[in-house]
Amino acid sequence: MTAVIQTQNLSKWYGNVLGLSDVTLQIEPGITGILGPNGAGKSTFLKLITGQIKPNIGRVMIHGQKVWNNYALFAQIGFCPEQDSFYEELTGWQFLTNLLKLHHFSPEKINEKAEKAMDIVELTKDKDRVIRSYSRGMRQRLKVAQAIAHDPNIIILDEPLNGLDPLGRRKIIRLIKEYKGEGRMIVVSSHVLPEIEAMTNRIILIHQGKIFAQGDIHYIRDLIETHPHIISIKCSHPRLLAEKFIRYDYVLKVHFDLQKKSLLVETNNRDKFFSLLPSLFRENHISVEEITSPDDNLQAVFDYLIGK
Amino acid sequence: MTQGDTKKVSFFFQSVKDVFAFFFSLVKKVRKTKIFFFISFLPVFMAFIVKFSQIFSLARNIEGIYIFNNMIMTFYMQFLILILALFYGTSVSSEELEGKTLTYLTTRPVSKSAIIIGKYVAYTGLVVIMTILGVVFSFLVLNLNELYELSLYQILFRDVAVLGLGLMCYTAFFTFVGTILKRSIMFGLIFSFGWENVIQYFPGSTQKFTIVHYLKSLLPSPSTGRFSFLLFRLEPSSTGNSVFMLFLITGVFLVLACVLFTFKEYIMED
Amino acid sequence: MTIKEKGYTHWDGELRDGRFPWWPITRFGIKLTFKRKFFKFLFALTLIPALVWLVGIYISERLEDFSFMVRGDQTDFLNVNPSYFNTYFTNDFLLFMIIMILVFCGAGLISDDLKHNALQLYFARPLKKKDYLFGKAAVIFFFLFIITLVPGLVFVIMKLIFAGNFKFIISYPWLLLSIIVYSSLLTSFFALYTLLLSSVGKNRRYVAILIFGVYIFSDIFFGIFYGIFRSQYFALLSIKVNIQQIGAVLFNQRTPQDVPWIYSLLIILGMCVLSGLFLNKKVKGVEIIK
Repeated sequence: MTAVIQTQNLSKWYGNVLGLSDVTLQIEPGITGILGPNGAGKSTFLKLITGQIKPNIGRVMIHGQKVWNNYALFAQIGFCPEQDSFYEELTGWQFLTNLLKLHHFSPEKINEKAEKAMDIVELTKDKDRVIRSYSRGMRQRLKVAQAIAHDPNIIILDEPLNGLDPLGRRKIIRLIKEYKGEGRMIVVSSHVLPEIEAMTNRIILIHQGKIFAQGDIHYIRDLIETHPHIISIKCSHPRLLAEKFIRYDYVLKVHFDLQKKSLLVETNNRDKFFSLLPSLFRENHISVEEITSPDDNLQAVFDYLIGK
Repeated sequence: MTQGDTKKVSFFFQSVKDVFAFFFSLVKKVRKTKIFFFISFLPVFMAFIVKFSQIFSLARNIEGIYIFNNMIMTFYMQFLILILALFYGTSVSSEELEGKTLTYLTTRPVSKSAIIIGKYVAYTGLVVIMTILGVVFSFLVLNLNELYELSLYQILFRDVAVLGLGLMCYTAFFTFVGTILKRSIMFGLIFSFGWENVIQYFPGSTQKFTIVHYLKSLLPSPSTGRFSFLLFRLEPSSTGNSVFMLFLITGVFLVLACVLFTFKEYIMED
Repeated sequence: MTIKEKGYTHWDGELRDGRFPWWPITRFGIKLTFKRKFFKFLFALTLIPALVWLVGIYISERLEDFSFMVRGDQTDFLNVNPSYFNTYFTNDFLLFMIIMILVFCGAGLISDDLKHNALQLYFARPLKKKDYLFGKAAVIFFFLFIITLVPGLVFVIMKLIFAGNFKFIISYPWLLLSIIVYSSLLTSFFALYTLLLSSVGKNRRYVAILIFGVYIFSDIFFGIFYGIFRSQYFALLSIKVNIQQIGAVLFNQRTPQDVPWIYSLLIILGMCVLSGLFLNKKVKGVEIIK
């Protein structure tokens, strides 16, 4: 698949503070999650790819065109910024329609698109209220609305779920997945791991201005050979099972959780370990209640990568 | 000019028109605008007070046109248009940065120059309307007894034109100042009430380094005595030269503002 | 043996209010002002008249050494007397620079808090409204006292030192009190004036223009109405002239305008009271949006 967004050696400093360091990557169509803690460089990255700021080193291209001062590109891009700021004296409707005017749509099209966007974010009832009177969640939804109203092909959302209640979050996540289905490209940033996990498997991990990993979350996890996988097994005879495990060199550590009657096993070869399990259970007449992989999620991946 | 160029130019003007419409409708709603409207109508209230006082013989019987030219016009030209141009001119870029709303504009398919020009036209239009309404009403009230005198309307038209040119020029200058400086108000106050006032007392070509010199060159020289202290040592330029210079200053500072705004990076704090 | 459980322990001490709850607000406000670019330069400019007047006091005690600079016997202007002090405290340049200082350090005092919804943060602490307002006002007191009260006291002290005797203070025993009263009145008025305008808007640029504009316009209106009506009572419209009237009275000089000084005092005090009432109403923890 051809990359839509390409960056090459992208770096940004704010005075002496490093915002982003030597980021070279390609983002393809679909949903890509940008994940990192606060201050990692997610917003800096998104601002660079939307041309809000200039890179100090390197370049960023969308569809092979440079982004900085290339306003024509923004006919196809929708950006939802992180900061909570609006033209407070306007109503939600006026805000949306005025921004749509800048896309040079006809008045009928503007009304149509604004109505559709308001409907999607469920602000139709409150569209004629001044933005100053909106709640936090309504403001966030209005921000999303202005990013999607003009039907862009590329949607870039910086922490879009901030301030939304659980139902609101589910709706936006569903919307993002629908957009993916329509063939659009969505880049979403967040520091809340379950949010990203719910939207996509394709992630870019950022920490301290650097890209730690990029790709499918499971693929990334498998790449981390230096960090063993942890498997939790709840069974009738944990100690007996542990005795069997320690014979194999790819089992690195075994912990007992006496209360839960389970054991945690660290292994550096998950595939071999899982293929061993059925025969061990059968031969030793061990009944198994539960097998889980507690570190096969984004948090664990992230923690390993940043060395916690 | 190729077809592509023509399309670009028409696209640019369309963008300017859209930005103008957006911000002209926005700025009318803002409370500050209502307060500035009130301030620009203060001379009208003053004119009413003077007129009533003259009717009841409480004030000296000075000709309405004299009061208009020497007091009302002085108030507008030496103070009000400076304040209005300073606030609205610097607002063109500063308010987007302070309010962190710049992102909404720069992620639309409009050039940054169109944003500057569109906002400039919107704000200049607003302050011109504010000022002209105040000037016209003051004029009508003060010259209530002489409204049939057509020659007076020539004076009104001339004064309105001078104020309009002044607002156009000052707003362009402060638009530029707003794009380049963070503390634009301080600089603007020092320029308006320091430089523009002080330099007028300098003889020779030094005066040509102020905008007010060209504005005053378009007005007749004041009589000596009362109020002439306001116009020490004016060595006026010709009318044509003054109008040309005012348009040139406007154009130069607008172009500079557009160039700066286009290429300067504005980092908004999160 | 008792096993001590490390649970939550209640503190048996006494809960007290801080003695000066407004002090952190003032300290932070002053620190923030000094951090602004060009403020130090502007503040230094404001001290130039004080320096010039101080040099004048020095010269006044060494007139014979500087007589070559003066034509004939024209040494009246170097008489250090209450008029000398009045000229310093009421001169147009000083008042103008005070306004510029207020534009720089005062415009954002309340408007920035309104813009960032910080009032809720303040009033979620053990802080009363009066502490908040006093803390903000104290920032202005700090800067204006350095321009008014401190130079006034330094002039008196230096005059005594240069003269080598107490003749000056014996001749004008009320002068110190006049300096203190005038500085306090001027500073309190400008503090309330600035806070009032700062509470009017959330935009610092707009407030800065109001602070400057209201002051200048009041003077212009006086000029215009005086030109038409030729009545000195229109001087009461001008903030600057009212301050100069009060200054003249406090320093036992002839008032610049032929208007009873009590009217100027009432206007200044009235503006202070109205500002206080408005601020009390405007500064709230929660803003209700209609």
